[in-house]
Amino acid sequence: MIELENVTRSYGEGKTVYALNAVSLQIMRGERVAVMGPSGSGKSTLLNLVCGLDEPTAGAIRIDGVDIARLDDDARTRLRREKIGMVFQTFNLLPTLTATENVSLPLRLQGVARKQAEQRANRMLEKVGLSGRTTHRPDEVSGGERQRIAIARALIFEPPVLLADEPTGNLDSTTGEEILSLMDELHAEFNTTILMVTHNEEAAGHCDRIIRLRDGKVVSTLAVKVHNELLATEVG
Amino acid sequence: MFSMLAYVTWKQWRQHGLRTVLTLIGIALGVAVFFAVRTANVTLLSSLTTTIEKMAGKATLQVVGNEGGFPEAVWETVKDTPGVHVAQPVIEVLANTAFEDEGSLLIVGVDMLGDRELREYQFDEEGSEIADPLVALAQPDSILVSRTFADAHNLKDGDRLPLYTSQGKKDFIVRGIFKPAGIGEIFGGQIAVMDVFNAQFVFNRGRNIDRIDLMNEPDVTVAELQQRLKDRLPAGLEITRPTSRGQGIENAVAAMRIGMTVASFIALLVGIFIIFNTFSISVNQRWKEIGILRALGVERPNVQRMFLAESVLMGIFGSAIGIGLGFFLAIGAERMMSQIAAQLFSYASTQQPPVFRWDYALTSFALGVVTSVIGAWLPARAASRLNPILALHNIETRQREDVLGRTRMLIGLAMVVAGLLLVRFGPSSVGLSFQFGYSALMIGGLVLLLPKLAEWTARLLRPLMDRLFGSEGVLAVDAMIQSPRRTSATVGALMIGLSFVFSIGAYVSSYQKTVYDWMDRMINADIIINASENARSRTYHFSEDLGKQLATIPGVRRVENVRFTFMPYADDSVAVVLLDMDGWLARVKDVIEGADEAEVRPKLIRGEGVLVARNFAVRYKMGVGDRLKLPTPTEAFDLPILGVVEDYTSEKGAVFFDRELYKRYWNDPAVDLINLSVDKGASVAAVKQQVQRVIKGQHRAFIFTNAEYKKYIMDLINGFFVLNYMQMAVAVIIAALGIVNTLIISVAERKRELGVLRAIGGLRSQIRKMILLEAASIAIVGVISGALAGVLNTYFLVRTAATMIGGYTIPFRFPIMTVLIALPIALVIALAAAWWPARKAVNLSIVEAIGYE
Repeated sequence: MIELENVTRSYGEGKTVYALNAVSLQIMRGERVAVMGPSGSGKSTLLNLVCGLDEPTAGAIRIDGVDIARLDDDARTRLRREKIGMVFQTFNLLPTLTATENVSLPLRLQGVARKQAEQRANRMLEKVGLSGRTTHRPDEVSGGERQRIAIARALIFEPPVLLADEPTGNLDSTTGEEILSLMDELHAEFNTTILMVTHNEEAAGHCDRIIRLRDGKVVSTLAVKVHNELLATEVG
Repeated sequence: MFSMLAYVTWKQWRQHGLRTVLTLIGIALGVAVFFAVRTANVTLLSSLTTTIEKMAGKATLQVVGNEGGFPEAVWETVKDTPGVHVAQPVIEVLANTAFEDEGSLLIVGVDMLGDRELREYQFDEEGSEIADPLVALAQPDSILVSRTFADAHNLKDGDRLPLYTSQGKKDFIVRGIFKPAGIGEIFGGQIAVMDVFNAQFVFNRGRNIDRIDLMNEPDVTVAELQQRLKDRLPAGLEITRPTSRGQGIENAVAAMRIGMTVASFIALLVGIFIIFNTFSISVNQRWKEIGILRALGVERPNVQRMFLAESVLMGIFGSAIGIGLGFFLAIGAERMMSQIAAQLFSYASTQQPPVFRWDYALTSFALGVVTSVIGAWLPARAASRLNPILALHNIETRQREDVLGRTRMLIGLAMVVAGLLLVRFGPSSVGLSFQFGYSALMIGGLVLLLPKLAEWTARLLRPLMDRLFGSEGVLAVDAMIQSPRRTSATVGALMIGLSFVFSIGAYVSSYQKTVYDWMDRMINADIIINASENARSRTYHFSEDLGKQLATIPGVRRVENVRFTFMPYADDSVAVVLLDMDGWLARVKDVIEGADEAEVRPKLIRGEGVLVARNFAVRYKMGVGDRLKLPTPTEAFDLPILGVVEDYTSEKGAVFFDRELYKRYWNDPAVDLINLSVDKGASVAAVKQQVQRVIKGQHRAFIFTNAEYKKYIMDLINGFFVLNYMQMAVAVIIAALGIVNTLIISVAERKRELGVLRAIGGLRSQIRKMILLEAASIAIVGVISGALAGVLNTYFLVRTAATMIGGYTIPFRFPIMTVLIALPIALVIALAAAWWPARKAVNLSIVEAIGYE
């Protein structure tokens, strides 16, 4: 489903800094993968490359067999529209739009009629438990509710891939847990492939596999079960 | 501490180079227009007075009458007055050569024997066989020309110079060429000298002269001699110093000057909005920076000072650039103004480089700086009141702008209503400067209401934009709504610029319609023959013989000679239109107000009274039954006002009476216009052709059919407003800069938002569309508010300004068509202005944008 082959992303001329260095990995359909690692390890770069916001210096990134590095900007954007939903740590909602308008925005950008788009948005808001907040603007709801709106927006066109960058990073632990449970529910319903960047072990615990990065390289790939056992052994 | 703050400011300027440059251009253009208008005005007056002074030579006093001149017998009286060292008669005529280019030539008629005592003639002796060119003038066909004119037409001593005179085309012989110095510099060197008595004859002055230039004896002061002459000469003659004649010219072109000055303030006003906008946005962008500075211990007043100092610096740089730019603009402006002065007021000027006045430069500079500080004041205050805790907090949603307090809205409404009431019921005695305050009050009120107006209009636009352009349209309008202050500052700049375009347009169109209706009633001759290509010539006229000649053309039913002149009246001047009353009254009906027309008509024909224009009656508070006294070079003119007529001949007012009466009092048989009525059934075109045939090669005349004449008058009126339109264009350009500024900042402020849109699937083309739509929305709101402000300003112009400046009553007509035409133009300007910001927006790095704070 998602395949990275020797992907490198470097910056600067002369003394080159490698954000990602020859990373190869595969993520299967419906799999939930957490990417962990210290700051500067290349987690966010990996996410940006997978969703086509950034371009690799070398290597191939294939989504459903299509190498997105070879696509032009518009084609990458269309691919993002159709196949990738994104959730950010800072929610990134548009402050002037209501919850319904924010959620319906990706559909509207695709040319779906306003009425139809808003009906779908309201259904999605209902799914994330915000049916009573449809006309509220982002500054009129709590942080957890903002992230729910952001998740609803990411899933509005039922994308096969959901990319989440620290989705609980700005939330307290209870609200963060609620959001992760919501993502579990939605994964169960839509069988969405989830790639989540996180610092949070609890959040990673909701995934099937954990990839650890350090200095732009993959240092380990472990199933959560194994990861948890190792963790327990270390604690013991 | 202040140097540290200055360093922070400097870094900001460097980081936001384009914004800084646009703001500087905004200030510079405002100052440039203001400085250029004042410089052009003083240059025009200087070139007009230079002409007078150079012409006056060593004369310490001048005796002048009205434009028709005065009897030459006065010369004898002046010469015999004790204390007069030398006195010389002068005739000035702006005539045309019969060369192919038919260029103008200022002809000065002087007495060849005595004039050298007053004026210095430096003769070019090279190739000349004449010992004393001035003596050569005794021969009736002699003429002396300047070297500049001679070179331009390849003339040398003995060559033929054909001229159109009141006696028809005549050939003169060049008998001397003088150097382009002293009198030779006047009117760009297009000057010739001939014998005064010869000029009297060929230019149909009868026994009149235009002026006497004189010098006092050393033992008599100029003031003493002036008083002596006043005691001896008829009341209609003015004894004045040459230098003070410039004042009269200044009065004549006052209407033009007022119009220009008001328009130049508009450019500065628009500049205030740009500066306000720039600084508001700067404060918004530096939200966090201000918070950090406050947290580090910078006091509130110092934050405010930092922004105000920035505005002072902007003002200093912008004004300095503006003054330099304005000086060059003044060259073009002066040319246009002198053209208008020549066309409408018939004044000859001497081309000269712009006069750099330090006092004007300093005033403009100070205004630029003050404007900048005024524009920055509120944003600077807002910055100083910023809550540092809030500023430092990593807020997800941008700080909401306070749209409009109830108090501010009520004040705004009250100002608009007060302005309207003052325009409607305010006393006219308070003076024009005070009355301009009425307009300022209304516009100021609208400025206060603008954020709300912009918000309401944007909300109205939202569903429409949604239907037409989908989510991009909604987001574009939302971008406006979310920053009402930023939007309203740009809209305000557009509003001020456009409101004046609309109101001047409305004023011109109302004025044109009024004048056109008036011409329909009053000017109904079939063919009109004018002695000048301008509205009139002060110096070149037809003789009565031409009319007699035209009367013999088959198909001509009646010929009416008209004299059109100006006379001094009550410290100003007034237009005097001398008609063949029986002919004119036969053509018009129901034009006399305030009296029984049937009763008045025979009295007017018999020369028992006068008619006055309505604006004259308003201006001088005179009406039917009052007596009109006019200065004449002969006996006292004191006749009753028999009626009032609606008239737009001059903004200074006009008086009408029979030409025979004028000839009797002023000894002036000259003719400026000839009205022809053709026989019923005769072809006007055929008669016109006959007239052309008779006149061709004899006179320089401008022959119009009725419709052509009306169009010609309309063109002259439009010419008067051209400079105003150009100033408005500058105001609109400054407003367009405001749009660029706003959009660049809008893009910068919404970097994250744009990044999110791209991240969730927005194509580059959709982002571009959104920015362009935002610009279009601003333009639409600008045009709507401009139209609203334009309605108020038009009401002011037709109710107050027209009455105060010209004494005219003009009906209110708002030019819907102008607004409809302005809308697509404003949209095009806005879209062009949005091109660069849109480009910037689509090239944003999404990753950087999303991470942006």
